[in-house]
Amino acid sequence: MRPRYMKVIRDLTSDYSKNLMLVLAIAIGVFGIGSILGGYAVLSREMNANYMSTAPASATIEIDGDISSTLLDSVRTFPGIKKAERRSTIVGRMKVHERWHPILFFVIDDFEKMEISRFRHISGTKIPTEGTMLVERTALMVMGASEGDAITVRTPHGSQQTLKIGGVVHDPALAPAWQEQAGYGYITMATLKALGENSRFDLLRIQVSENEYARQHITQKAEEVADWLKQRGIEIHEIQVPSPGKHPHQSQMEAVLSIFTVFSFMILLLGSILVATSMATLMVKQVRQIGIMKTIGGSSYQISTMYFFMMLVVCVVAILVSIPLSRLAAFGFYTQIAKLLNLEITDSSIPLRVPFIQIASGILIPMIAAAIPLIRGSRVSVRAALDNYGVSTQKVNRWSTFLSRTSLFTDTYRLSLRNVFRQRSRLVLTLGLLAAGGAMFMTALNVSDAWETNLKRIYTQRLYDQEIRLNERLLPDSVFSVIEAIDGVTKVEGWDFASSSIIKDSKYEITKTYPDKGHGSFSIQALPVPTQLLNPTVVEGQWLKTAGSNEVVLNQLARTSEMTIGDDVLLAIDGKPTRWKIIGFTEDVGSPATAYVSITTFAKIAGSSGKVGMLRIAYSDRSRNNSQNKSREIDDVLEDNNIRVSASIPVWLLHNAVAAHMEVLVNSLLAMALLMAIVGTLGLTSTISMNVLERTREIGVMRAIGATPGTIKSLIVWEGITIGVLSIMIAFVVSIAFSYFMGVFIGNISFRTPLTLTISPIAIAIWVVLITVGSYFASVFPARRTNKVTTREALAYE
Amino acid sequence: MIHQQHKPLIELRNVSKAYPVASGTFMALNDVSLTIESRKLVAITGKSGSGKSTLLNIITGIDRPSTGSVTISGVKVDKLSETELASWRGKNVGVVFQFFQLLPTLTILENVMLPMDFCNTYSKKERRDKALALLEKVNIKEQAGKFPSALSGGQQQRVAIARALANDPPLLVADEPTGNLDSHTATSIFELFAELAKSGKTVIVVTHEREFSAYFEDTISIADGMVNAQISVHA
Repeated sequence: MRPRYMKVIRDLTSDYSKNLMLVLAIAIGVFGIGSILGGYAVLSREMNANYMSTAPASATIEIDGDISSTLLDSVRTFPGIKKAERRSTIVGRMKVHERWHPILFFVIDDFEKMEISRFRHISGTKIPTEGTMLVERTALMVMGASEGDAITVRTPHGSQQTLKIGGVVHDPALAPAWQEQAGYGYITMATLKALGENSRFDLLRIQVSENEYARQHITQKAEEVADWLKQRGIEIHEIQVPSPGKHPHQSQMEAVLSIFTVFSFMILLLGSILVATSMATLMVKQVRQIGIMKTIGGSSYQISTMYFFMMLVVCVVAILVSIPLSRLAAFGFYTQIAKLLNLEITDSSIPLRVPFIQIASGILIPMIAAAIPLIRGSRVSVRAALDNYGVSTQKVNRWSTFLSRTSLFTDTYRLSLRNVFRQRSRLVLTLGLLAAGGAMFMTALNVSDAWETNLKRIYTQRLYDQEIRLNERLLPDSVFSVIEAIDGVTKVEGWDFASSSIIKDSKYEITKTYPDKGHGSFSIQALPVPTQLLNPTVVEGQWLKTAGSNEVVLNQLARTSEMTIGDDVLLAIDGKPTRWKIIGFTEDVGSPATAYVSITTFAKIAGSSGKVGMLRIAYSDRSRNNSQNKSREIDDVLEDNNIRVSASIPVWLLHNAVAAHMEVLVNSLLAMALLMAIVGTLGLTSTISMNVLERTREIGVMRAIGATPGTIKSLIVWEGITIGVLSIMIAFVVSIAFSYFMGVFIGNISFRTPLTLTISPIAIAIWVVLITVGSYFASVFPARRTNKVTTREALAYE
Repeated sequence: MIHQQHKPLIELRNVSKAYPVASGTFMALNDVSLTIESRKLVAITGKSGSGKSTLLNIITGIDRPSTGSVTISGVKVDKLSETELASWRGKNVGVVFQFFQLLPTLTILENVMLPMDFCNTYSKKERRDKALALLEKVNIKEQAGKFPSALSGGQQQRVAIARALANDPPLLVADEPTGNLDSHTATSIFELFAELAKSGKTVIVVTHEREFSAYFEDTISIADGMVNAQISVHA
């Protein structure tokens, strides 16, 4: 090897701790990029593969009545229809630890010949016999049961019965049961009948044969089939066309992973700034050697090439270390997300483009960041290089003069303050590095807090604690008196609801609802005007004021961009269009797309005058424990009074379900923040080391004239802490802007409404402690090292 | 390469060097004109701060004159760019420092090979042989594989001289090369310089050690940035 490159290699290996820090700074960034991009690539592919492996229906036509096998055969021969199957979905209830939870029963026509909305058999029986069910794997945890156990269930029209878990399946088209706080059971029609329900298939699932990813085409075909069914006297209730080929959580996942990708590149950028400052240190340390090399014939180009080669070696080592580790982290990341999304990873290979991006970014970004100090250092004149004596020749600036005059501080601290501002460009880089790390750390926690605050709005918007959906509409008086008699119940209101959709150009109610009946759904909530159990956040217009009017208030998920106050909107109720006037828009937390209307008007349309379909109940004690107890009491009272319940949803359950959706995002943000903190502290260590190194001889002079090691240590430590404190102030200001934008982004992908800007005092406290302690240790080590050098050595330092 | 025997090798005309200082301007060299002939061992003497190191820096192109011209073997050194200067210096001037200035992470052999690497002189194999030959010449060949820190000051200075000779330059300059050595070692270094001058090199040494004046053919005395006298001892 040529001597010049031999020098580079030996320089790198002669100062392990310092160069290890360079490697670490780049490696953290490359690691972050690899972990996120690797996880992203696997998840995108596997989410698609999992979802498509279920052969999802292009559309589901919900009818009033039964789809006979003859009718089904006819639909199968319909032009443009590839496959058709019939199903039924019933929302029932299951008793787990003496509490009722919702359970979604999927009634399958033929378990052996399923071609649409399939699932994968895991264990136990493949075809459930009467009185047994197959259970989605994630539901076992919610049920607190395992294969072979019996679960107490109840359907809207049936009596309490037990169903045995005959087998376990995996249905990747469904969100994990624990996330929805519901059970998923697959049963035969015979079991449904045994549960006390009408034996009818009311869902027609179709797959189109062409343009299977074009929603418009699918809608058109579904309408043609609906027309055909209607001609045969079948009432169409609703047509569900979810986003074609897209998992219900795909958009959210992609948005979240995009944020993480940006974060990971930011970490690499910060790491690269750290490398740039460290390389500047190295150039300071090597300035005399550069002078010597120039004296013996080395040109600026040759010398800069040497140091670029050094950077390349650092980058290559960082890449070699971080790529395998990032693959491990990617594995952990996609495994966690897969668990969260109920996905089965069948192919865990990370595409080649990921290591390629890691290699390219792991070399280019640090090289670009370090280019200025490297080129500047290499171009130093021979005389300037040889005349470098380790005593700073920087002129005293006005700021330093001001600091030197103030009498607020001790002499030592005044000197520390002046030292902070001596190398201003380096100070700016360090402050930038630390402030960016701090800003992102605080942002992560702020967003986490904002998320929590927003979740709490679930309670402040809902002044009720329990929602009970009745099997049949009832006259309220008969229900209210029994519930209001329960101790601790403060208010009961009778509401109603219906699945709905906004009718535009179609004669049918077309929704984007997924088969789990939750994702993409749209409902009308009919309430007494005025209500005392809802405190809506009205963002435009006004809340419902007139009972019996045709006024409607839409939430942010129901609102479309072209809607304005005063517009008319057609909403489907029981498949029939009804006209409403928009008077306001709300921002709801934790609700699907909802249209709020007066129950008086709704009842007239639904033909249920005076009756209610849903109860909303408020308790004096809103705690989860009390809510659970009251829920049980109410269930018993309703049971005793022969009032059948289709679903009972406590508000705390809704809160937990929404929280579970974004748990991984918040945790991952915190992990990113931690990486930022590490890079930031490394940056501070590097800067302090550089500052001290540059002044070795100056420190020697100070010691020669009487400064004790304690004074020197105090001088250096205060310098570090001052830089740290300055960075905290900048980080705080920047974090407010970051938190706002991040809150808008995350709020929009999760609730379609920005998160409220929240400042987390804990985030500030942690960062202050972290940086203060980090600054102390970052400066105490260079201080100790300097104090170990004898005064003679320090004075002779070159 | 510089191969003019009878003409002056180095010619400085009205060279001044001014440095800005807090109180105004400090004249390190003030209108210096001198010539140095080739194949001679020349001393530059003077008190500390007299300008002798500045003069040496101007000759080697390490520093540029504020005014005046520097011609070495017909090359106007003050007109060369930094890159041209580095290349010119590498091939035509060998520099020896007071504190040896060997690169600590290169072996002795590698230190000597480095100028050849920078200036791309000799083939790769020849570089090694040439470096070993130079180390033998300065009696330090057996230390070739060691790092500078393992050598004594005198040994390090010998290596520095070998490195200065790596590209076979006609001019060797040394800034107080024995200032950090004991008198016995210093004598051996001056003997080596005398040998080099006899073998055809021009050797300029900045020194204030009078006991070695016998080695010098020419002595340039500097005071307050001006040439006091240029004495040819053996003229």
